[in-house]
Amino acid sequence: MPLVDPVTMSSSAIVKGAVAQSTSTTKSTPGSQATESSTTTAGSSSSLATLRPVQIKQTPAAQTVRHALPAALTALYLLRFDALVTNPVPVMLNALPVVAAFQMTYALLCLPAAGEPASKSNRKPRPGEKKKGGDIGSSTIITALLASVLTSIVTPFLYFAMVLFGAPFLTHGSHTFLCAAHLALLTLFPLFYVHGVDSAAWAAVGGFRAPLDETFGGLVGGIVGAWLGAVPIPLDWDREWQRWPVTILCGAYGGYLLGRVLGGTLFWGKKF
Amino acid sequence: MSFRRNGNLSSTLLLIAANVLIPVAIVIFATGFFPYKPLLPGLAQYEPLDGYGEPPEAPFDKLVFMVVDALRSDFVYTTNSGFKFTQSLIRHGAAIPFTAHATSPTVTMPRLKAITTGSVPSFLDVVLNIDEGDESSSLASQDTWLAQMKAKDTGKLVMYGDDTWLKLFPGTFDRADGTTSFFVADFTEVDHNVTRNIPGELRNDDWNTMILHYLGLDHIGHKGGPRSPHMVPKQREMDGIVSQIYKAIETQDHLKSTLFVLCGDHGMNDAGNHGASSPGETSPALLFISPKLKGLQKNQDSPLPDAEDFQFYSTVEQSDLAPTLAALLGFPIPKNNLGVLIADFLSIWPKKADQAYLLHENARQIQTVISAASGTKTFDGALPAESCASPTSDYEQLACEWQGPSNNLMSARVGDDMDSQWALPVVTWLRKAQELMSGMASNYDMSRLILGQITALLAVIFSLSAAIKTVSPTRSLTPLLVISIAYSIMMFASSYVEEEQHFWYLATSTWFGYLTLRGFKRANTTFPAHLLLTAFPVLASLRLLRAWNQTGQKHAGTPDIVKLFIEPHPHFLWLLVGLTYFWTHRQLVYSFHGRIPVPINYPVMTGLVLAAFTFKAAFTLEDAPELVVEFVKSSLLDFTRGASLIARARAVFVGLGLVAMAAMGFILWEMRGAGGNRKRSRRKKGPAEAITTLQHLYTILALTQSRTANIPVFLIFNLLYWFLSSEIDAPDGTGLSTVELGISSLLLQYASFFAMGGSNAISSVDLSNAYNGVSNFNVVLVGILTYVGNWAGPVWWAFGTVVLLGEIWRRDQRQKRLGSGNNGKRGSDEKEEEAEAKQMLEGGQISPFKTYVAVTTLFTAFSVAAVMAACTILRTHLFVWTVFSPKYLYCVAWSLVQHLVINVGLSGLLFWLGSF
Repeated sequence: MPLVDPVTMSSSAIVKGAVAQSTSTTKSTPGSQATESSTTTAGSSSSLATLRPVQIKQTPAAQTVRHALPAALTALYLLRFDALVTNPVPVMLNALPVVAAFQMTYALLCLPAAGEPASKSNRKPRPGEKKKGGDIGSSTIITALLASVLTSIVTPFLYFAMVLFGAPFLTHGSHTFLCAAHLALLTLFPLFYVHGVDSAAWAAVGGFRAPLDETFGGLVGGIVGAWLGAVPIPLDWDREWQRWPVTILCGAYGGYLLGRVLGGTLFWGKKF
Repeated sequence: MSFRRNGNLSSTLLLIAANVLIPVAIVIFATGFFPYKPLLPGLAQYEPLDGYGEPPEAPFDKLVFMVVDALRSDFVYTTNSGFKFTQSLIRHGAAIPFTAHATSPTVTMPRLKAITTGSVPSFLDVVLNIDEGDESSSLASQDTWLAQMKAKDTGKLVMYGDDTWLKLFPGTFDRADGTTSFFVADFTEVDHNVTRNIPGELRNDDWNTMILHYLGLDHIGHKGGPRSPHMVPKQREMDGIVSQIYKAIETQDHLKSTLFVLCGDHGMNDAGNHGASSPGETSPALLFISPKLKGLQKNQDSPLPDAEDFQFYSTVEQSDLAPTLAALLGFPIPKNNLGVLIADFLSIWPKKADQAYLLHENARQIQTVISAASGTKTFDGALPAESCASPTSDYEQLACEWQGPSNNLMSARVGDDMDSQWALPVVTWLRKAQELMSGMASNYDMSRLILGQITALLAVIFSLSAAIKTVSPTRSLTPLLVISIAYSIMMFASSYVEEEQHFWYLATSTWFGYLTLRGFKRANTTFPAHLLLTAFPVLASLRLLRAWNQTGQKHAGTPDIVKLFIEPHPHFLWLLVGLTYFWTHRQLVYSFHGRIPVPINYPVMTGLVLAAFTFKAAFTLEDAPELVVEFVKSSLLDFTRGASLIARARAVFVGLGLVAMAAMGFILWEMRGAGGNRKRSRRKKGPAEAITTLQHLYTILALTQSRTANIPVFLIFNLLYWFLSSEIDAPDGTGLSTVELGISSLLLQYASFFAMGGSNAISSVDLSNAYNGVSNFNVVLVGILTYVGNWAGPVWWAFGTVVLLGEIWRRDQRQKRLGSGNNGKRGSDEKEEEAEAKQMLEGGQISPFKTYVAVTTLFTAFSVAAVMAACTILRTHLFVWTVFSPKYLYCVAWSLVQHLVINVGLSGLLFWLGSF
């Protein structure tokens, strides 16, 4: 594609809108359009350049849950912290369904499901639209179930990524794997729920070009937090909590919650 | 435009200034941090002490001094020790046992200095311990108990064992047979060479001092740790020698006044290593043995139960040996001694006046040392009472406290009736003086520390502004700044210094994760799954490197790839080693392809690689025979049987030198031809390929200087190198930039150092390859071989970086030619156009090499400044001599050798050669 070249090379010179325009003209060829399941159903704005930040549903339930769940997750983490330090594997295992339920509730109530019009609040409902925002229909439940299947598929890969970044390989297998499961559930499940397997959206996420919102902010925060969680391990303080993978999990939760809250509020819609 | 040209020039000047300031800062700081201790010259003489008579008569006239290297206290004293005979001597009072505290650094040479001079060796002796040929570390000109025994002229001095003694005391011994400890796999021969001399010497009566230094026990420790199955049999063997000597003293008339000292120079930690200051390393055993000592009635319990802190019986300082030997053998205390006469022996002299004499002599001698160090004559007269009310210095405080002990000595001398504890205040005072003088904290030259610090900060500022001027866009420096600043902060925490490898491993994995996945930025619509497929082998390689050798302090000795997979499977090891040599051979032949005819190229390169490989096999057979498989032994070593290791190593080095000269010849020849049209087709690639030849030749040198188990690491390096090389020509003009290559190189240089077993501890310096091909000690050669042996990976990456820089340079040249062809299309960016115009005016762009130097200089300046700041601020920290000072020495090696010599000097030369 000859047109890609000038776009990448002139990013600093052309204003963003121009880039977006040129990209969308590139993309509006019918062939490429059909292969993608895009985030929005609107034709002209389907390409990556207009990947919109996810907006939390405006229903009272969604707004309550949005604020209550981070607090609940924090509380859960703090409550179980001592147990986690002494006995990481069973505690992480038992917490997994609870966290999964939290995330599931969050996704169903607050997030637009993949394939569903993303930002209804910004635009008038189109005539052909079936559902109102805030409803939990069967299709959203199926999306959530699919997202959880995808999350569990991706967990082994996340485990291997953690090993590649230095997690113990021959020992602590269940520790690392459960930690990866928690990380996937926190950071990837909401993204699977809102983006499905839309490769353009995932390419944008992977290239750090996606706009910040609760889901993407949570991903960035969770991964950076888990990464920073490795920092205190070598210190010679000889504390129990320095054991693998307490700090990693701690960093992942702290980073995820911070990223999710900041991404949903202060930095919403901003890009890297 | 002239302004811009000045900009380029000024950044070059700033860069040069920063690189000049770095070594200046290091030297200034080092002179303040490792102060030169004033040494009193000459040999001590008995000087008449006021009011005392002649020096008291010594109970002994001969000395057998038996050092068992790394003889930790529990090896002799506990229940599961092999020293059964020695323990019976303790029970009968014929052996007086102590735990002798050895100060860090717990390596042989500084310990021998402490034992013989009674002083506390400066930290610089560690460096000199490695650099064993240095004249200044020789004790021939210093006052030691050996010099005193020689001055007594009552007999010859003989020495059998570790040749460190011969290096420390050149020309002192009348008969000597030195053994070297090149191969720690040698448990028996090295000790047999000592033992076989003993029976003959015990019959001789012409010596007054016999020194024996056994290395086998230390070798067992290094190889298998303190719980090695070889340990107790070796202890029994040593016990047998104790018994042999003791029985000779008992039975033979000419030996009846012989003092027999058995001691360790240092201990060992649980991994069997030493150098630092863990209780195991600092607690060697010390025993004074003679039938005459039974008179002291010191019969003590033996064996004792295990003790966690390795303290058995009473603990003395290692330096206390010197004044104690002086008293027992009757010679003046060596001039620079800081040791205290061990009070347990005082009762040998029945007269109190004699005891007072010995203590007073000890005190007076230490007072002389204090006066020399403080530069005042504190002890000459009585101090005015008012200055004692509020003493201004530790020295003055000490002088004031001398009053009480001095009165005690006076009373003892005139024979006053005193309680049995009269000597205690004197000994306490001596201990206090010893502590003050041994603690080096007061010796820092603060003004120099601060001056060095300021110079280093200037270097940081210069290198920072040079980097900002050189690198565009400036934001591409962000990762480098993050690395530099994070590293600088880390230098202040002792555990991060000890476990520095984690920083580099995490940073390298993250950076390469970024490099492999930044293609996501190019992918607009489709999820670039192929990038994950590239990322996997790259990150997996880094993960393998990280696990190859477990390094650092906390988990030293825990399982790693070498211990789990390599050592138990030597066949697998030799498969990988063979593959590495084969791969290097292939690349070497390929890089000469087209230059020399195949019938010459092939046999020459094969011969060179085979010589290197057989040397490695023969070396491993000596160093770690358990790693050599039968196949390698029979097929490769047999047809070169008879060649000595030195000859083999020399063959490799000479071969490398000749081929390198040939490669340089090609470069120069092609440089000359580059001007003409005749060589047009080769002009672009010729010298550049010859540079890769030098790179492959260095690989062979690096393999020769690396431990066998580390050789497969170079295969991993090749894979990462191949990835970096492929990234240079990535599509869409998003290829690796020079800054990105510089950062990658920096990270890989450090990560490879730690992956190959390096750490910030002095004990991790690998000397096993330091003497390859060297028969007579040569400081320069051994220094170079040691450096390459320990920094093999970092230097390899420096070579690799130069070749890649050349590739970037040619890529940019190509793009420039392309760009000037259709400037209209590319000139969308105004800035870029301007920059291009500027480059054209100057007749060239900013050389990638300059950018690379800017990158490495920036990091080096940061690290030097941070390590200095940490050493200054934490100079009174408990770990200053065990963590921060070694880190400073490593930092010096990294910045002076790796940065200035390798990354700037050698790389600059190679880049220049390759750029024609």
